[in-house]
Amino acid sequence: MRYARRAVAILALTVLATTSACSIEKDEPGSGTDASAKCGSGKDFLIGMSQANNAEPYRQVMNDDVTNAAKDVPGFKVVVSDAAQDNSKQVADVENFLSQGIDLLIISPNEAKPLTAVVKKAYDQGIPVIVLDRKVEGDAYTAFIGGDNVAIGRAAGEYYAKTLLPQGGKVVEISGLPGSTPAAERAQGFREGIASNPKIEIVASQTAEWLREKGQSVMDAMLKAQPDIDAVYAHNDPMAEGAYLAAKAAGKESTIKFTGIDALPVPSGGIKAVEQGRLQATFQYPTGGREAIDMAKKILVDCATDVPKTTTLGTMQITKENAAEAYTTLGGKQ
Amino acid sequence: MNPPNPTAVAEAPPETPPRRPLRLPRDRHAIVDSFFRFQSLFGLVAVFLIAIAVSPVRNGENVFLSSGNLANIVRAVSEIGIIAVGMTFVILIGGIDLSVGAVLGLAAVGSATLMVNSGLGILPTVLIVLFIGTAFGATQGAIVARLGIQSFIVTLAGLQAARGIARMWSGGLGIPIAYGDGPQEAPEAFSLLSGSINGVLPVPAVLFLAIGVGALLVLRSTAFARHVYAIGGNEKAARLSGVPVRRVRITVFAISGLLAALAGIIHAGQLNQGSPNDGAGYELDAIAAVVIGGTSLAGGSGSMGGTIAGALLLGILNNILALNNIDANVQLVVKGLVIVAAAALQKLRPRIA
Repeated sequence: MRYARRAVAILALTVLATTSACSIEKDEPGSGTDASAKCGSGKDFLIGMSQANNAEPYRQVMNDDVTNAAKDVPGFKVVVSDAAQDNSKQVADVENFLSQGIDLLIISPNEAKPLTAVVKKAYDQGIPVIVLDRKVEGDAYTAFIGGDNVAIGRAAGEYYAKTLLPQGGKVVEISGLPGSTPAAERAQGFREGIASNPKIEIVASQTAEWLREKGQSVMDAMLKAQPDIDAVYAHNDPMAEGAYLAAKAAGKESTIKFTGIDALPVPSGGIKAVEQGRLQATFQYPTGGREAIDMAKKILVDCATDVPKTTTLGTMQITKENAAEAYTTLGGKQ
Repeated sequence: MNPPNPTAVAEAPPETPPRRPLRLPRDRHAIVDSFFRFQSLFGLVAVFLIAIAVSPVRNGENVFLSSGNLANIVRAVSEIGIIAVGMTFVILIGGIDLSVGAVLGLAAVGSATLMVNSGLGILPTVLIVLFIGTAFGATQGAIVARLGIQSFIVTLAGLQAARGIARMWSGGLGIPIAYGDGPQEAPEAFSLLSGSINGVLPVPAVLFLAIGVGALLVLRSTAFARHVYAIGGNEKAARLSGVPVRRVRITVFAISGLLAALAGIIHAGQLNQGSPNDGAGYELDAIAAVVIGGTSLAGGSGSMGGTIAGALLLGILNNILALNNIDANVQLVVKGLVIVAAAALQKLRPRIA
């Protein structure tokens, strides 16, 4: 065992030697101030868009919204990075943006705490930072733009109370990932929304973790446990589609009504499902991509210094009547 | 040392001194051989030069070569690099360790929980976490060595188990690390892991390079290293010639677990959070670094210097692709091609007998 001990000892000693022999400083942010002084029309601007995970359709649509909106602003060039759900990768992505000398950072953080330091670093260098959808901690950013999940849930609940089930009925809820904020807020808002109609009853609530395939298996089970379901409130469109498939397999798709949330303008998204009659309604969860570029234009081109710190985006109710129109308005390609 | 090629000897001048180790290559085969032996180093230099050439230039300064950017590169690969050092030992004995990413996550959760929730100081936290990683690795090694199950399967199981333990320990959520002296706060000094020495060299990068050099020395000069190569080359022959195969196996997996845990501590210190999902997929990046470094997955041949070069090469590649705004999906394809090219180069390596 002697050699093994020696091997470990050498490794341990090198670590100790290097850590103890040197003075270590915390990285202090540099105090560059050139970014805000650079604003004005007729100039070129490089905007870094740091995305948490391109593999989620919602985030891909957010990227598309940002890049498409930027095409309409002369001088704007957007570069997009994908952190593939890895906090470390997203920190490195932002560092690379800083090396490239971006004029403005748009970031949709994978998680709040791990990205806070690097966002602050950019902000302290004088680079305007627009945070999308998920927040970072503290206030070292220029602006936050995001949706309001409680309001979306409430809008869905009110639609149930007044339009979908005015006579009341039995509703099952298929919820998002337990412990995730959007799932909790979409559940809470819905209960507030249906409160005006006491004849609506939530008879079961199960999680399908945002996934279409789990929506299907959860609905399979609920169809057996609950013989007379009137409607399914799913926390996102894929789970609603999965539930629809389960009901169809049981021959009950025409007697049960389905609604989702998100309303992505993509062929596999909820708007198309409403248009094609599988879902009764879906409620848009806005990406904020276009709004972010509007704000970037105010900051960089119009030299605005007092943009709102927090912008809460509204939702859009999508039913058969407005589905085709909404698909185009929200930037979907046929 | 290969016997000299007859034609080469005939061409060589008569006053050629007798062959000594580490002399400059004199004939074509030796040159070719040393090219392949140090392929990752050549690859690293080549990628470095290409990166300089294609780097965007800003205000007259080469962005890639700016000191902040080079520091970022080494910082970004340091965790993968440290894991890859441990992985090299495992691969050299013909094994694989798929659990390292999950052990990193477990160690990150452990660091956060012990300091924030249990109120432990830095030293006890680090020691406990390193012990957990080492014990986890040693246990896997013992199962491989005693029960004779392939390490792929044992560490695949270990990956699941470590993730599960990390999720249970953290309650499934990331544990944020706040600094200060109060309750629920970690000692301020832990945040030095995200700092830089003299404001230039990132601490994780220094740790990676120190561990890399340490492991390089271990692999150059110890009996342990000879045993590692012997087992990877021919396990039966090694056992018959008295190599303590089981003990070396267990030690190798223990080192891998130890270094994965160290990477997890660094991860928590850099991101101010310990999350049970941290390090997902890192095992594959580490294996890629080892393979690009020229170490054979069959075991028995390879070098630590190659692994260090391989990790740095991956880091430079990631960086220069990002600096040039290459699409994220194209980046994945490029990285895949580089890994295949490195492995293919190894296959082309001539066997001179």
